[in-house]
Amino acid sequence: MDIDILELSDRSARFILSDVDAAFANGLRRTMLADVPTLAIDEVNIYNNTSVLYDEQVALRLALVPLLTSFDEFTPHEECSCEEGCPACTISLTLSVEAPMGEEKTVYSGDLVSADPKVKAADSNIPVVKLKGGQQLVLEAIAKMGYGHDHAKWQAGVACGYKNVPVINIEGCDLCEKCVEACPRDILALGEESAEVVDDRLLNCSLCKQCVEACGIDAISVSENDTSFIFTLESDGSYSAEELIINAVNTIRTKASTLDNILGEL
Amino acid sequence: MLPVRCFTCGKVIANSWEDYKRRVEQGEAPAAVLDDLGVTRYCCRRMILAHVELVDVVAPYQ
Repeated sequence: MDIDILELSDRSARFILSDVDAAFANGLRRTMLADVPTLAIDEVNIYNNTSVLYDEQVALRLALVPLLTSFDEFTPHEECSCEEGCPACTISLTLSVEAPMGEEKTVYSGDLVSADPKVKAADSNIPVVKLKGGQQLVLEAIAKMGYGHDHAKWQAGVACGYKNVPVINIEGCDLCEKCVEACPRDILALGEESAEVVDDRLLNCSLCKQCVEACGIDAISVSENDTSFIFTLESDGSYSAEELIINAVNTIRTKASTLDNILGEL
Repeated sequence: MLPVRCFTCGKVIANSWEDYKRRVEQGEAPAAVLDDLGVTRYCCRRMILAHVELVDVVAPYQ
């Protein structure tokens, strides 16, 4: 297995994963979406809500706010030894905002005050509700560690996906330039002896095969490499993109060793 | 209020709304503002483009 990183920023990553089969790439994708646990608000005790939104709507909006999570410090609630929730799997946040008379005030995710300074909203500028003069929102929210397969609010990876690395072969080209004109992504250009793939543009190929159709003499063939994948992923902010990949791999490893232990006992 | 996340992909989009609204009111093209705010997928773009803000209309009545 080989990884070649194309882009890596705080919230997104793009890399080539090679020498693995599609099952492994798909396993990694599914783990990022559903099996990397994160913190999200799960219970809300509302003390006062005179805003326009119903209590349930406020609770849903709060739940969808991504919270910065440290992977090792919390245990997923369903795997914790407690039943009611304990400091190992839950954390409490409070919110208290009132709009002064005659003024409007927007409640932002940044107004959530956490019991642990490390746990806070990943983006502090997410509007929760707009309050008109005199309206008030006071509540306590309990965040739990959970899995993306139970609810989208625990989903750490956003828009994770992959495609095969394209393979373009050109043989016996007669320089008619039809394939160059047909390509919607400007991947081909005319060289001295035949049409050529433009440097660094190969990965933009969408495998549409319009160049193959345009070629009158079947000189061009487009196929996909079955063992190399261009992987794209975004994080919702609860982890950085790098942490998300590492946590996903660790999750797969833990699951594999659990399976190995179970099989060993049979 | 604009939904917090995109219905389809799950990206947080609500934090782009205030910037988007202000800049479009100042006369910028919506497509250019969305590109600039990093809202690239069409699932997220439709969330913002098709949103009708009703809080201000409803808010006084609780």
